[in-house]
Amino acid sequence: MRQRTLKSRITDPSETTLAWVLLTPAILFLLLIVAYPVGKLIYNSFFDIRLSGGSLPSFVGLDNYKMALEDALFWKSLKNTVIITVVTVPGALVAGLGLAMLANMPFKYRWPVRLALLLPWALPLAFVGLIFAWFFHSEYGLVNDLIRRIDLLIPGLGWQSQIWFNSPALTMAAICITTIWKTSSFMALILLAGLQTIPASLYEAAEVDGASKWKQFTEVTLPLLVPSMLVALIFRTLTAIQSFDIPYNMPGPGDETKTLAMYIQSNTVDYLDVGYGSTLAVFMFLLSMATTFVYLKYVRGDKE
Amino acid sequence: MSGLFSSKRLRWFAAALVILNGVFPALWILFTSLKTETELTQKPITYWPHEPTIGNFISAFQDQPLLTFLTNSLIVAGLSTLLSLFISALAAYAIARLRLRFRGLILTAIIGVSMFPLVTLMVPLFEIMRSLGLLNSYWALVLPYTVLNLPICTLMMVSFFQDIPRDIENAAMLDGCTRLSALWRIVLPLAAPGVATAAILAFVNSWDEFLLALSMNSAVAYRTLPVGIQLYQGEFAFPWPIISAALVVAIVPIVVLIVIFQEKVVSGLTSGGLKG
Amino acid sequence: MRITSLVLALGATFALTTGIAASAHAQTVKVFVGGQERPEVMRELFAKFMAANPGVKIDLETGGATSELQQKYLNTVLSAGDTTLDVFLIDIIRPAQYASAGWIESLDKYLGADRDKIMGQYLPAYKQANMVDNKVVALPAFADAMFLYYRKDLLAKYKLAPPKTWDELAAVARTIQAGEKNPELQGISFQGKAIEGAVCTFLLPYWSQGGELVTNGKLTLDKPKAEAGLAMWRKLVDQGVAKKNIAEVATDDTRKEFQAGNVLFAVNWGYAWNHFQDGAESSVKDKVGVVSLPAMQGGKPASCIGGWQWAVSSYSKNKEASARLVRWLSSPEVSKQLAIKASNLPVYPSVYQDKEVLAANGWFADALPVVQSARSRPVTPRYSEVSEAVRVNVNSVMAGVKTPAAAVGEIENRVKRILR
Repeated sequence: MRQRTLKSRITDPSETTLAWVLLTPAILFLLLIVAYPVGKLIYNSFFDIRLSGGSLPSFVGLDNYKMALEDALFWKSLKNTVIITVVTVPGALVAGLGLAMLANMPFKYRWPVRLALLLPWALPLAFVGLIFAWFFHSEYGLVNDLIRRIDLLIPGLGWQSQIWFNSPALTMAAICITTIWKTSSFMALILLAGLQTIPASLYEAAEVDGASKWKQFTEVTLPLLVPSMLVALIFRTLTAIQSFDIPYNMPGPGDETKTLAMYIQSNTVDYLDVGYGSTLAVFMFLLSMATTFVYLKYVRGDKE
Repeated sequence: MSGLFSSKRLRWFAAALVILNGVFPALWILFTSLKTETELTQKPITYWPHEPTIGNFISAFQDQPLLTFLTNSLIVAGLSTLLSLFISALAAYAIARLRLRFRGLILTAIIGVSMFPLVTLMVPLFEIMRSLGLLNSYWALVLPYTVLNLPICTLMMVSFFQDIPRDIENAAMLDGCTRLSALWRIVLPLAAPGVATAAILAFVNSWDEFLLALSMNSAVAYRTLPVGIQLYQGEFAFPWPIISAALVVAIVPIVVLIVIFQEKVVSGLTSGGLKG
Repeated sequence: MRITSLVLALGATFALTTGIAASAHAQTVKVFVGGQERPEVMRELFAKFMAANPGVKIDLETGGATSELQQKYLNTVLSAGDTTLDVFLIDIIRPAQYASAGWIESLDKYLGADRDKIMGQYLPAYKQANMVDNKVVALPAFADAMFLYYRKDLLAKYKLAPPKTWDELAAVARTIQAGEKNPELQGISFQGKAIEGAVCTFLLPYWSQGGELVTNGKLTLDKPKAEAGLAMWRKLVDQGVAKKNIAEVATDDTRKEFQAGNVLFAVNWGYAWNHFQDGAESSVKDKVGVVSLPAMQGGKPASCIGGWQWAVSSYSKNKEASARLVRWLSSPEVSKQLAIKASNLPVYPSVYQDKEVLAANGWFADALPVVQSARSRPVTPRYSEVSEAVRVNVNSVMAGVKTPAAAVGEIENRVKRILR
């Protein structure tokens, strides 16, 4: 048994003590900034709090939750959120992987490629939505302009310019394209970091063993990228579930392309129906928890 | 990853693709910032400005204190990134390396922060900042942004720390190094790409943030860029040329900063780094 | 003797210092105004007030650039009971919501016995919009309404008079469109995008037929009239009088396109006029006429009121000074100043006929009858939700995604639930 003098306790603490000391700042911040708002949120979801009604908050138990389950707009916004998530998460992964691999190639001048990778990230999200809404504008947007030009160039192609925001399906497509564009660089950045930690020696060894380029990719690159991919995927998914800025600034016809985050924002900030807004937020949290569990389970199952 | 595309032309094509993908909206913003309002709504649409003008840039600086907004954004994003990195490095090391009973629970709690949309936390957060007397100050934004970036920074660093073999640290500790200095001198440098990436992600997240900045720092002296830029709007009008000019001013320093930073990381890695 | 003079000296000093202290103890009133409300003009006005009221200092804070953004900001800070803002300028659709949330102070006791006389001087729609439960909760700053702008040169060319009904408008538009053979010329441009203006799009033909949306806080939707109104707009699109992507068109798009000479009739707010007469930017200078919006067949013309109101925060620590400021800001003299300096439409009918005002804004003479006939959108605490229900469905009809009947059914369901 080692002598535990006070000095040695401070300069060389046991592992568990050290662990907790290291975690203290994080826990402190979480408690201060997050615990109170989240606690209040969950608490509020059991009350009918409508600030613009002049009535006092009243306890309603699970009524808000029942109301949500019967609310067609809740289901519609949930559906749109799920569509965006299911399309843009794999989409951004594939696009990001492609971009990362391209950016990792040896070029004479690397900085333009890296710059191009970072520019989508540097553009403020709110403005990306507005800019792409303009790109997809039926009259002044460059998407329709390009369609017209390409159609003129290639006879018999029959491409027609669309009124994108008149159709729910086309609007969703535009939203997904924009989201993938913006977030593929997020993915690419994380994957690039992962790619760079794969030692070159592994590829050389595989080459010596006669593995083809494709096999190198599947047997060396992909497996070693999985940890970084997982991190990227978890956050991309959580962000996708909370999609707001892009769908908000690229509105489709009527209500058809609203997302859950937009519905929460309308209820909480515009209608001042804090109780119902909190309930919807709890649903979003449950969805996020469920998705994270799936990811983590996959990780644990894979590591066994 | 060398050798997947062997011919040089293919590499140039690939580079061109990546560059075009990233750059076209930024180019569009640049071109638009040089156009007049009427040229923007001409049909057929123009790409290159036919009558370029720098009037938009002049207006952008005259109508608003753009430089103030830029400075504020830099300070807020920079401080919150540093704070985030520091706290999450400590926490990630604890989670990745040390014997900890509730490891999974703590990690979930940290990730759990990301599971709530910011809009729902806004009003209680505003109340907290108000009662702490921090409204219209840098801390009103730095503190929440630090917490918002904790999950991604922590998770990234956990995954990178876990990839570093323990032997290196154990060897150092046998030589008399304490755990903390092992973290600082050995683990962090080896995980540099992860740390750098986490830094960039955190920085840009804070840079982009709009909702909190709108509510907390409404005073002009502390206003950040996203909030400031939307003020060029009129009740009904959205002057793309002026806003594009403001966006150009907003993006350029960020890009310069990031390119320099990224380059340092890459050169640091290729010189030393991991071996088999 | 020396003691007496000492006491007198002390007394004098005491009186002097407390006098100084009293005037140094000035109250600061913090005013929040949107970035688009001409803060520089506001500052001039505040300087005048401060000169006349030495004990009061006014601090101006400018915020979000649109009604929506300001509302989001104010909603957040007022939900948390923020005490730093004393006075704010809010859109005409907000007083009922803010009053019932307990955020704005009733001004009755500050207006005193003159209250009814004061309120009677304003245009009637403003009196209605600013009184909730028979209490005055805000005072109007300036007015606005929706007008029908038209190309008087083109109408003169084809010897046609400005239309009095929507059907006439469609006929006139088609005649001129056919005659001009210009594929870019739109017959009419209006707001089809799901913005606040789309609520007006719904209400204009609806009101014209005598329909009421909300009475005494309850939904009183006349479905056939609502359907007829939406069908009228839809027909304009189908006939080619309005363009196919009208669902993308917001207020300023209409203004820009009319200004570029591509529109025959435009439904828009008052701000558009000065743009049209801007010689440097406008292709339609001196070619623009202004008239009341058309009516539905057999109905009366109707317009939508706009404009902004001054309110005092109920969390303010300087209510008395704030109320004084607000009352002055809403006075005929200030209304005249705003009309001359910022071209804001006045809220007092008398100011429209003031010579100096007319010299600066000749068209106010034509504008007055329209503003007088304009009506306020439903005054209810739940206006945000009602507005959303209506505008979203108008947009669906304009995009061709819903039929007028389906849209009206949806409006009924949603508003009924909202106002339960």
